[in-house]
Amino acid sequence: MTVASQVKQTMASLKGTQSTLQSMAEIEQNEDTKELFNSSTARLDGIIKKIEDRVRELEYQEPQYKGF
Amino acid sequence: MPEWLNILLWSIGLFALTLLLVRLLGKKQASQLTLFDMETVIIVGVLVAGISVKLIPAPLGLVALAVWTILPITLSFLSLKYKSVKDVVQGKESVLINHGKVMEDKLMEARLTSEDLLSRLRQKNVFQVADVEFAMLEPNGDVSVHLKKDKQPLDAKTMGVNVARHSVPQTVMMDGVVMDEPLTAMGLNRDWLHTELSKVGVDPENVFIGQVDSTGQLYLDLFDDAVQVPKPKAKELAYYTLKKCHADYETYALSTQNQKAKEMYAQSAFELKEIINELEPVLIK
Repeated sequence: MTVASQVKQTMASLKGTQSTLQSMAEIEQNEDTKELFNSSTARLDGIIKKIEDRVRELEYQEPQYKGF
Repeated sequence: MPEWLNILLWSIGLFALTLLLVRLLGKKQASQLTLFDMETVIIVGVLVAGISVKLIPAPLGLVALAVWTILPITLSFLSLKYKSVKDVVQGKESVLINHGKVMEDKLMEARLTSEDLLSRLRQKNVFQVADVEFAMLEPNGDVSVHLKKDKQPLDAKTMGVNVARHSVPQTVMMDGVVMDEPLTAMGLNRDWLHTELSKVGVDPENVFIGQVDSTGQLYLDLFDDAVQVPKPKAKELAYYTLKKCHADYETYALSTQNQKAKEMYAQSAFELKEIINELEPVLIK
């Protein structure tokens, strides 16, 4: 597995977990816990943005591994 | 009218009357009765027994019965309003142990020997007087014990552990019937429930109890206990995926040659660790 595909896999896992947390936040009744879920997803957003940029860089360097 | 029939009718009538009187006397359980309550109950009982077998002439007995019910009821109402009345009628609580020292004069007042005190403490699982910070004799004769801080059971706060505030799970299915009200209270609907049930491959008719926790995980108990239902794992899965991502980031940070990327990975790994720590009480515990 190339580095690019590994990084992409991590990115996909992060996105998946983020959406799981989002769906839990929707159902959660307790305001504090809901807030916690929401802030976590917001922070994950930032992390995902950065890794997306990195994936773009990697694809630029190794265009033969572009796409999935 | 034969004598036995007479007594039968009387007894039935008195039975109904006492049922009513006992209800009027209040809702306390036998173990919560104070000495005064106990006395009232016994006297009412004796009076009723006496009247029903005609040991006491009915008119006289009924008058006495009326006094012994109306007075306690009035007193209990008064004691709700005035603390002084309450102290007289129900007795006052007294401090038996204060700051770890036994109050001998209070023990005397309550007619308790040191042996009695020890036995009461043992019933509260306390075998050493030195462990007790504070003990109180309640009006109903119970001893309440407050242990010294270092002898108290551990709780999350003293351990400094973060725990999530769990809301109460809602029961959304009983005997195969969907409960609409709890479902809508959680902001869910029947469609959601049926999707979740088909995810685990369970017929709605087969569900004995179905409960949803605060994050929307469905826990099931089936009529057919031979069927194994997978436990909801979404929370654990989310937690461990995050941990895996964290490990991945650290690997990338170590293996990349690009200085900027290295920093980015390290920074993200640090942030992920923080998120994981924050979510741990909610997702795992």
